[in-house]
Amino acid sequence: MNLDRFNNPEIVKRLALSIKQEASKLSKTVKIMHICGTHENSIVRFGLRDLLPENINLIAGPGCPVCVTSSKDIDAVIDLALKEDVKILTFGDMLKVPGSRLSFSKAKSMGADIQMIYSIFDAIEIAKETNKPCIFFACGFETTAAPTAAAIAELTLPNNFFIYSVHKYTPNGVYALLKSGKISMDGLILPGHASTISGLKPYERFTDEFFIPSVAAGFEAADVMLAVLMIIKQINNKEAKIENSYNRVVRYEGNKKALAFLNKVFYLTDTIWRGLGEIKESGYELKDEYERLDAKKQFSINYSNSYIEHQKGCRCSDVILGNITPIECPLFAKRCTPLNPIGPCMVSDEGTCKNWFDGGYGE
Amino acid sequence: MNEKITLDHGSGGKLTLELIEEVFKAEHSLDAAILGDIAFTTDSHSIKPLFFKGGDIGKLAVSGTVNDLLCVGAKPLYISSAFIIESGFEIEQLKKIADSMIKEAKDANVKIVCGDTKVVENGKCDGVYINTSGIGKIIRAIDGSDIKDGDKVIVSGYIGDHGFAILNERENLGIDTKLKSDVSNLVDLILPIIESDLRIKMMRDPTRGGLAMCLNELCYGKDFGFEIEESLIPVREEVKVISEILGIEPYYSANEGKMVIIVDKNDAEKTIEILRSNPKGRNATIIGEVKNELKGKVVLKTAFGSKRILRMPISDKMPRIC
Repeated sequence: MNLDRFNNPEIVKRLALSIKQEASKLSKTVKIMHICGTHENSIVRFGLRDLLPENINLIAGPGCPVCVTSSKDIDAVIDLALKEDVKILTFGDMLKVPGSRLSFSKAKSMGADIQMIYSIFDAIEIAKETNKPCIFFACGFETTAAPTAAAIAELTLPNNFFIYSVHKYTPNGVYALLKSGKISMDGLILPGHASTISGLKPYERFTDEFFIPSVAAGFEAADVMLAVLMIIKQINNKEAKIENSYNRVVRYEGNKKALAFLNKVFYLTDTIWRGLGEIKESGYELKDEYERLDAKKQFSINYSNSYIEHQKGCRCSDVILGNITPIECPLFAKRCTPLNPIGPCMVSDEGTCKNWFDGGYGE
Repeated sequence: MNEKITLDHGSGGKLTLELIEEVFKAEHSLDAAILGDIAFTTDSHSIKPLFFKGGDIGKLAVSGTVNDLLCVGAKPLYISSAFIIESGFEIEQLKKIADSMIKEAKDANVKIVCGDTKVVENGKCDGVYINTSGIGKIIRAIDGSDIKDGDKVIVSGYIGDHGFAILNERENLGIDTKLKSDVSNLVDLILPIIESDLRIKMMRDPTRGGLAMCLNELCYGKDFGFEIEESLIPVREEVKVISEILGIEPYYSANEGKMVIIVDKNDAEKTIEILRSNPKGRNATIIGEVKNELKGKVVLKTAFGSKRILRMPISDKMPRIC
């Protein structure tokens, strides 16, 4: 598909003008949240906040999978990797994420066997070439949980291959945060990638219970601007419904095949989101029939109760909840940079702080 | 600064600058030293793969040094070539590299006048490293001393080719593309504008760290900055595609046959005309201008009218490509 038209300056400028006109009818400043790191990446890269009127506050919510992976899990797996003869396989984004004391990268420099992979399929191939137990530290939302599930369901996995799932389910996570009052918003941009898997139905609770206008959006400049416009229109019309501005990719019912794999392999359990506490039914855990693969069951894993989610001064929790922007954190671009990330939001291209840093904020 | 040298220290980004200032206690300024009417520079080259679409380490080693001499307004004359070769390296390959150096030197009208050869143990270097130093005759010193608000910023052609071409080959990204490195000496392109009376204020070749690093270096700690129109930066379609796939903007991808030129606004069009008369400069474009109010910053104006800062890269997602 030729995406040029979604970045056509004339279309984007026209959308900006329409947003301005529509926003002039608003009675107050509105907070529109997105919950996808790639949306933040687009917003910063295209400078979209510059194009919005002052009464539209476009903020990043919890949309970065490595940012919400708890130190408790990172610490436990690092501890295992340092003590036992195992190989840990995980995504590049995860390597530099600090745990309580160490990141996977630092543990590697201390002798732990840790290797970066691009997908679970890489991880499986690596496991085939060794006799060592290989543990795939599986992080990510629905988007990456689905391939993990598909691989488990469909492939013959080597006997030395295990999975430590920290996969998370976005709709339930964000729902719980809303319900607890930890986050608030007047409008929601639904995640383009994750909704491709989950579909839009799980977000019906957002419109029904919280009356939040919700629009699924793609990642080009016009996609995001269109979603903002559609949300403001809903607000002005006193509506709260789910709309899909990304119907070239997202289906209301989601990806049925992927959902079937997820249901087959995983069940949803209460899990800790980094810095945000335990969230009900928001983590993908392997079902009992897959316990042979479950690293949490096959290895003796020590969980410390004194794990540290965020170092002193780090305000990643507030950044993830959209309470502050990265530049309001005293560490941002000073002590905390992508080369030396103090908090998880400064690591991955989906992290809000990393995006803002790359976008030149704090210069 | 980290206690140990990391690959990022060699990326040409912010850490390289810190290393130069804090450890080497040197000032990072021009691409070549201006010593009266002599220009002098040196450059080491390590690249993987040694042979790539569009060139090889030999061509790179000659053109890199030649282009650095051009940056300060010199006519490149002589270069040295020092090899560090890994034991076990095939002589046939070395011959190819040497032939390529001779060919590029001839094309650039420079003489390779001295050299050195060291062989290290197997496994101690990736085949071959080459250092070249170069001497040129200053035609007129171009040292950035007269930059004014409103001066224009020119790039001599498509941005990002070299870095992405190498990355595609090295990492087996499997992107089927005709994209090749732009590695080339720029003598025939740049010498005419040095020899002209056009008010050229400053030049730099946007190698490691790409256009973003180059522009940031040019205004680092200075009383001026740049405002660049994103839509005017010439970028090939293939490069755009790779950029999208990798999530790395083309402005951070290295170039080995391009020049960034700061020129008086009244001479900008004429400069473009001269550049475009040479095939190497066919896509030369004015991409922005000097703005005093931006002091030390590079601001990118998007096609949508929004603005953001084009930050100096602090690390390189594509280490060792030049």
